[in-house]
Amino acid sequence: MAATTQTTFASANNFEQCLKCSICTVYCPVAAVTTAYPGPKQAGPDGERYRLKDPKFYDEALKLCLNCKRCEVACPSEVRIGDIIQRARMQHPQRPKLRDVLLANTDVMGTMATSMAPVVNLTLGMKPVKAVMNATLGIDKHRTFPAYASQKFETWYRRHAAQTQESFSKHVSYFHGCYVNYNYPQLGKDLVTVMNALGYGVHLLEKEKCCGVALMANGMHEQAKRQGETNMQSMRKSINELKRPIITTSSTCTFTMRDEYDHVLGIDNRDVRDHLSLAARFIYQLIDNGEVKLAFDPNFKMRVAYHTACHMQRMGWAIFSTQLLRMIPGLELIELESQCCGIAGTYGFKKENYENSQAIGAGLFQAIKEADPQYVATDCETCKWQIEMSTGVPVLNPISILAQALDVEKTKQLNQN
Amino acid sequence: MKFDTIIIGGGLSGLTCGIALSQKGQRVAIVAGGQNSLHFNAGSMELLGNVDGEEIAHPVEAAQRLQPNHPYRKVGIDHLEELAQEAKTLLDKAGLTMSGNAKENHWRITPIGVTKPAWLTLEGLATVASSQLPWKAVTLVELEGFIDSPLQFVETNLAAQGVQVKVARIAPAVLTQARRSASEMRATSLAKILRNHQALASLAAEINQVTTADELVLMPMFLGLDDDALAALQAQVKPRLAFLPTLPPMVPGVRIATALQHYFKMLGGTYLLGDKVVDGLIEDNTMRHITTAKLQDVLLKADNFVLATGSFMSGGVVADFTRIYEPVFGLDVEAPANRADWTLAEVMDDQPYMSCGVATDDTLHALKEGKAVKNLFAIGSVLSGHNAAVQGDGEGVDMLTALAVAHRITNRQ
Ligand SMILES: Cc1cc2nc3c(=O)[nH]c(=O)nc-3n(C[C@H](O)[C@H](O)[C@H](O)COP(=O)(O)OP(=O)(O)OC[C@H]3O[C@@H](n4cnc5c(N)ncnc54)[C@H](O)[C@@H]3O)c2cc1C
Ligand code: SF4
Ligand code: SF4
Repeated sequence: MAATTQTTFASANNFEQCLKCSICTVYCPVAAVTTAYPGPKQAGPDGERYRLKDPKFYDEALKLCLNCKRCEVACPSEVRIGDIIQRARMQHPQRPKLRDVLLANTDVMGTMATSMAPVVNLTLGMKPVKAVMNATLGIDKHRTFPAYASQKFETWYRRHAAQTQESFSKHVSYFHGCYVNYNYPQLGKDLVTVMNALGYGVHLLEKEKCCGVALMANGMHEQAKRQGETNMQSMRKSINELKRPIITTSSTCTFTMRDEYDHVLGIDNRDVRDHLSLAARFIYQLIDNGEVKLAFDPNFKMRVAYHTACHMQRMGWAIFSTQLLRMIPGLELIELESQCCGIAGTYGFKKENYENSQAIGAGLFQAIKEADPQYVATDCETCKWQIEMSTGVPVLNPISILAQALDVEKTKQLNQN
Repeated sequence: MKFDTIIIGGGLSGLTCGIALSQKGQRVAIVAGGQNSLHFNAGSMELLGNVDGEEIAHPVEAAQRLQPNHPYRKVGIDHLEELAQEAKTLLDKAGLTMSGNAKENHWRITPIGVTKPAWLTLEGLATVASSQLPWKAVTLVELEGFIDSPLQFVETNLAAQGVQVKVARIAPAVLTQARRSASEMRATSLAKILRNHQALASLAAEINQVTTADELVLMPMFLGLDDDALAALQAQVKPRLAFLPTLPPMVPGVRIATALQHYFKMLGGTYLLGDKVVDGLIEDNTMRHITTAKLQDVLLKADNFVLATGSFMSGGVVADFTRIYEPVFGLDVEAPANRADWTLAEVMDDQPYMSCGVATDDTLHALKEGKAVKNLFAIGSVLSGHNAAVQGDGEGVDMLTALAVAHRITNRQ
């Protein structure tokens, strides 16, 4: 008999905790629309048993996984099914296609595109260009590309915001992410407005790289890991030397850096994780602890439907965004049933996934139509593209809504100290 | 973050309590660490099916004979009928039409084809008035490749009761694609395909081909997850069609879980799915706050807390090599001290560990170091004092203790 008895689980991503109950498969949005995908139980812990014996059991169908993590949310035994699948994909790399390299390198694409934004936006929107992309690159022709901004957020920040930030007594660093930088700087501007009103100076990290989520989804894990290490170094400096916690406005970037860096890429982020938060959570906590106060514009009126993005659901943080929205007196909030919109970052851009992507989102689109809101609020940028394209309803990040609803001057006065 | 009541555990008891409190206007949060054991529910609720080895036809009446530490004693045997009616109304409001009543059991058919007494059964599922099957002959529909129904057991068990069984095999083309993924020919997966009206119509056509109008047809329930597919299929087939539960995850159970979660949220409840309560502060016999794995340093505060974390399978109580314990707050547990006394040799015996659970006072307050925690109640399968598998009272204990506690909380205000 062994000298000691193993009384705790020891496998990666709680693999051996699986009871084989199949509950995860009930909640997988992909398995619900296509039988080509065997579902999380089979692709995850069941398949893993075989893959551990012989890698030849790896199944190409695993690339159909969206990495939405809804299986993990449903699993009663805390098996990190999505992580098991991601790691299996990582261990069976395929040479990424040119299209996937382009879609994945959000910052390279962004840098090129913002410098020629009007031309790029125009060409990306043109029918013949879409047809060529469809045929040669495999980017679905139905997709509208998110428009590129003509000025990067970082450029705007350096010209218009950087000088005044040191004057505040409290400070945060802002990980803006590729989307704010290249496609939608307004969200970054809104974040600066809100945090400044609350008495916080907002700073950029010494070096910010794309969080790597798109690289991971497209099989470029080595590059993702290098970028992740760079981000962790900048964040360590911000936390330890500058004493500035880091906030973000993207649920997916946050989730990737807090959880997937460790679980999938093997980056040690333990010292950073608790100092890295979504702005909605950070602000909620300040209010809950009585550290800041908000004053609202009495004329503000808005009817909003909140959509829980998959990674927001996985983090368990949607409550912070909805609680924050509920504080706004003129805001009527409808909470949509939490379900996947189908885009999953770059997944829905690929021709081979377009149909499934839209089928997955159909339930959400229908719910939005029925709720008939002025705006949909969500914490994820790719959900924004998908929902705007599929329903025509404009989508805002809760921070942008907060920026519109605040009486900024009054809030500033309330938080002067 | 503050609520009126916070419920730990999002299964049948937690949801019932959360709904009852929300109906009374309370601000309620449920923390649910993953989905729950309703997914293993066959679509029936049991109130009391067996006392001292005797199968029960009249549960309310028979409850008088229950052991002194049974949870029903703590909700009041005199209140059982009234609470049971309230539970049925609650299910109805959530959109779950169920037949049955607390005075008189009916008998449900289990996935292996034996009869068991039940209090409520979801419409569409086959039920009978007594343990003796009244049928002379039935036709069982067997779907090619379907892995979630042990039809040979059903056939044998029905035949043992003198029922003549005919098996009608179908292989509808709409499900051909699904058969390619052999491991996923499951009830819940097929139910998603059969949300589609055309798919349903072709299934109906297949059934009509192998049956006649005068037959009673029994079919595994692989449709009707969250839609009206059951009734739609019944309307499209010639024979009388009733459904049998399958192996888990079961469509009727998922349907119940989904409907209750929807209803709770519709009433304004906050359902924190996929988070887990990890700790709590108990001072002066009062729960001050709890913490969760995901909300981390954001403390959850409430006037009242309800523990509804289930039994061993859900981790509400845990057994290791030396002891049986309540893992979140270290509450008192009723369990034999000696490990050898936890189990009996025969698996189907009244296993002592099945009655282990959290100790409570007469009004279902959880005990810690012998003292009642004033604002912490325990409900459902986490409670000690009964064996649901033997006594056939699982869902009854879940729902009735939940309602009793909801009343105590709202009366206290
Ligand atoms: C959901 C489910 C459904 C199933 N359905 C069927 C079915 O329909 N038909 C069928 O034939 N089979 C089925 N099986 C499989 C069947 O249950 C198992 O094959 C059988 O129970 C295995 O028995 P076991 O004693 O080998 O392992 P287990 O029952 O898993 O027991 C292993 C025990 O060893 C303990 N242990 C682990 N490590 C150590 C250690 N280091 N030191 C000491 N103890 C340790 C564990 O805690 C556990 O108690 C099913 C299994 C599951 C999970
Ligand atoms: S991560 Fe999402 S798509 Fe992938 S298996 Fe889990 S539920 Fe399915
Ligand atoms: S991974 Fe979790 S939900 Fe899926 S079968 Fe295993 S225990 Fe069940």
